[in-house]
Amino acid sequence: MTQWVRYTLPAAAIVSVASPAYAMQYLSIEEAQKQAFPSATHFTEVQAGRVWKAEAGGRVAGFFIFDRVIGKHLYIDYAVALTPSGGVHAVEILQYRESYGGEIRSPSWLAQFVGKNSGSSLKINGDIRNIAGATLSSTHITEGVKRVLAAYGNRLR
Amino acid sequence: MATASDKIRRARPLLGTFVEIEVTGAAKSAMNTAIDAAFEAVAWVHRLMSFHEPDSDVSRLNREAFVRPINVHDWTYQVLQAAVEMHRRSNGMFDIAVAPELQAMGLLPGANDQNPIDAEARAFDPIELLEGQKVRFRQANVGIDLGGIAKGFAVDRALEVLRGFGAAGGIVNAGGDLAVFGEAPQAVHIRHPRDPRRLICSVEITDGALASTARRFDPFQSADTASSAIIDPVRRRPAPAIDGATVRASSCMTADALTKIVMIAGTDATELLEHYNANALLISTDGDVQITPDWHHAVYLAA
Repeated sequence: MTQWVRYTLPAAAIVSVASPAYAMQYLSIEEAQKQAFPSATHFTEVQAGRVWKAEAGGRVAGFFIFDRVIGKHLYIDYAVALTPSGGVHAVEILQYRESYGGEIRSPSWLAQFVGKNSGSSLKINGDIRNIAGATLSSTHITEGVKRVLAAYGNRLR
Repeated sequence: MATASDKIRRARPLLGTFVEIEVTGAAKSAMNTAIDAAFEAVAWVHRLMSFHEPDSDVSRLNREAFVRPINVHDWTYQVLQAAVEMHRRSNGMFDIAVAPELQAMGLLPGANDQNPIDAEARAFDPIELLEGQKVRFRQANVGIDLGGIAKGFAVDRALEVLRGFGAAGGIVNAGGDLAVFGEAPQAVHIRHPRDPRRLICSVEITDGALASTARRFDPFQSADTASSAIIDPVRRRPAPAIDGATVRASSCMTADALTKIVMIAGTDATELLEHYNANALLISTDGDVQITPDWHHAVYLAA
């Protein structure tokens, strides 16, 4: 039977100082609004930077609410689209920030992954876009959506 | 704000985690339609296979499948078939019937009012798959949880939707369980299981799936790790010695299920990995990284 290949990680790979560093921008507020209400002809700001009313041909298509949840290691901007009757139509993540070691965006840090073992070089250059490993819980978003519904679900109808 | 771009990436909270979907190489409106449909497929898998939703196939099975055969959706049946086969091939190491133990540990809600069956009294294979997508449990007090395999299946269904829209490439990442298609290789960075703020390595993947499992941690509470949510079905307690495992396979469902076996069996899982044409990387508690020999060329370690 073939042997597994074993590597011992240096301590430096395990110890680091945490600071906010990794950000993923998905949609802007405007893009998310169009995505949630494709038929809407315009969006009226009901509460500055936070709540918009979507209208299509003079009729209310729904409401769009921007919110943010902050945890110890994550900062997430998200939007809740509500139906005219105050039900959840869609929840979309707009931006996601994680705290990793502060060096994570620097070219030298990214370069460390290149050609570390068999001599072949990593074909993709640039950013960290896909992260795997332990699953992150979306509990804070679920709580955030409940809060948004409690605050706006009835009031906006 | 809408600029012409050949790539769209969006994310939604689904399956208790963040599901990220990216499509490349199609018109913007077509890519958005494809992403919406792919999210819908993931949400549908959630509704069918959630342990928490009272109307899911899983909840219906747990309530009634010992009393009478229960008809389930084709997708649920496919996942159960794969799970039963994985259970048999791993000599019981992969086991979806550990819900009572997970409930007793507080990892699933609603602790059973009846005692879970003793390991010895329990049938090796309590799940019977019948004709016509019907399922029956051979024993009372059997509780299944598809948490170890359904997420991978949801990723596969979402990727299938993206392919169906004729996009050039795409990626679906459900909180770390992911699958990609298209010409371009993708780099995936793996978190360190003991410190989720650190990335331990980068893995290159083209047309395939990657799933990872690690000891449990709550990123909102603390970076300290707690015990694993993987139960060793033979000893009926959390599995030891390995902090994290990542598996590459052709489907995310297979990769997802195999991570659970690698967490328990470690390097003894070689034969099973070979059977499923899969590769693995495991991080042991002493911090060493071990990689199956045919795969280390695609893994780039941080150092």
